[in-house]
Amino acid sequence: MPPKAEMFFKSESRYRMLVENSSDIIFSLDFEGYFDYVSPAWKNILGHEPSEVIGHNFREFVNPDDIPRCEDIFMAVIRTNSMQEMTYRIHHGDGSWRRHTSRVNRHRDENGVQTIFGTAHDVTERLRFEELMTQSEKMTMISGMAAGMAHEINNPLGAILQHAQNIERRVSANIPANVQAAAEVGVSLDLVHAYMEKRGIFDFIAHIRSAGIKASDIITNMLQFSRRSDAGAEPVDLSTFVDKVLELAGTDYDMKKKYNFHRIELQRHYVADLPPVLLSVTGMEQVLLNILNNAAQALAGSDLPHQPRISVRTRVAAGMAVIEIEDNGPGMDKKTAQRIFEPFFTTKEIGVGTGLGLSVAYEIVTKGHHGLIDVSSQPGMGCCFTVKLPLQGVA
Amino acid sequence: MNNPAITVLLVEDNDMIRECITAYLEDEGFTVHSYVTAEQALERIVAINPVVCISDMRLPGMDGESFILKAHTLCPVTSFLLHTGILYTLSDELRDIGMTDGDVLLKPIHDLSKLVKRITHISVTGRG
Ligand SMILES: Nc1ncnc2c1ncn2[C@@H]1O[C@H](COP(=O)(O)OP(=O)(O)O)[C@@H](O)[C@H]1O
Repeated sequence: MPPKAEMFFKSESRYRMLVENSSDIIFSLDFEGYFDYVSPAWKNILGHEPSEVIGHNFREFVNPDDIPRCEDIFMAVIRTNSMQEMTYRIHHGDGSWRRHTSRVNRHRDENGVQTIFGTAHDVTERLRFEELMTQSEKMTMISGMAAGMAHEINNPLGAILQHAQNIERRVSANIPANVQAAAEVGVSLDLVHAYMEKRGIFDFIAHIRSAGIKASDIITNMLQFSRRSDAGAEPVDLSTFVDKVLELAGTDYDMKKKYNFHRIELQRHYVADLPPVLLSVTGMEQVLLNILNNAAQALAGSDLPHQPRISVRTRVAAGMAVIEIEDNGPGMDKKTAQRIFEPFFTTKEIGVGTGLGLSVAYEIVTKGHHGLIDVSSQPGMGCCFTVKLPLQGVA
Repeated sequence: MNNPAITVLLVEDNDMIRECITAYLEDEGFTVHSYVTAEQALERIVAINPVVCISDMRLPGMDGESFILKAHTLCPVTSFLLHTGILYTLSDELRDIGMTDGDVLLKPIHDLSKLVKRITHISVTGRG
């Protein structure tokens, strides 16, 4: 060993300086999991004083769900004497969970004392970014798929819808060719009609058509992914616009029939003198309708001890126009809230939810309008969606 | 329902769609000529001189847009409707020959009576 390095490794104070200035956390645990050392970086990264940590068990800090995994890793380190890596959630002094990656190894000092020795750093932001990336990759994949699928599916759907219509038409006495054909085979069209009515055949045909229309709406929704341009954006008075969407919602068939929209109390709080906002009217209509639709569905689907209510607010904050849509329905837990903007994520039954509504809204708001969309909710506490749209750039 | 004087030319390569639109329009009394490709339709369009021509966008060979532009030079009084499966914005060339957003029919057509209304409207008002 060259003399300089030898001197370095002999100086405990230099070692200490290295450890105490490391931006990573350096720690040491006994085999029971009690910390006997943590470096000052712990305070910067996780907020606790080292004195609040030393002498405590790692299990007091690590998320209970992740403890077994950490224990397994420690066991492996002890057994195999090799370095291992692990990622886990750990409690921050501010009450939040952070995600850390650690490298751990087994150490035996001169006195024969064995410890688990490791370094740790915060990877919360990196993992969040990676998750966002996979989200946006999913979106891109879907937009490619959507255009292709629309082509393949629209023709058979058209045939289903239009042939169903043709069947209805071909038993109508209003069409001369029908009357003639019926006469040729010796039946009365009126009787054919009466028979079909009696056996519910017209209802079946109507169901074929409404199912076809539903499928076609899903395709249209999916196509929104491949339509990314914000062409057609126009300056709009937000309060008038929101009023118009509420009116639209009130006339929607599902909203009326299935979710009793008229029984929901609507509260509006519009800020006065909001500057015009540049938006694509059809796109933003769909965003608000999807949110309202979910709210109405949530309110209709649960027994509430109070009057169902949707509050719609507009305001300006930090250079953005803000639309808030809040319901006093069942709300959702944190796990659900984290995933609702993902394509195909739904908690509803098959056939009821497609899981596309909010992911489409997300696309339209973020890509189409360079805005933000977010939700805040807790189980039993209702749900509030916030859409923020940039104000600058409007004449 | 008395539309025999109104001749419609339909270009659609999907057999089912061609058949159901033809059946519906014939029930409504229109005279319908239907073709599978733009090339076949172009051979006959002058002789038929339809009031309205409905063309699919995606066709084997010549596509719907090129077909309409060509057919328009042959039959300048015919009105054209474009039937398409994707969200489509009319090109400037098609706007130049008088087509508007209302002339783009999105697949699948949910209700063919709307198509009938459009055709009768065109045949009454004419367009140019
Ligand atoms: N207002 C709300 N209250 C409670 N849960 C909601 C609300 N809005 C959305 N959600 C949840 O978000 C999920 C995803 O919504 P969305 O993307 O519109 O798809 P879908 O409505 O088809 O399930 C829903 O399945 C539901 O669990």
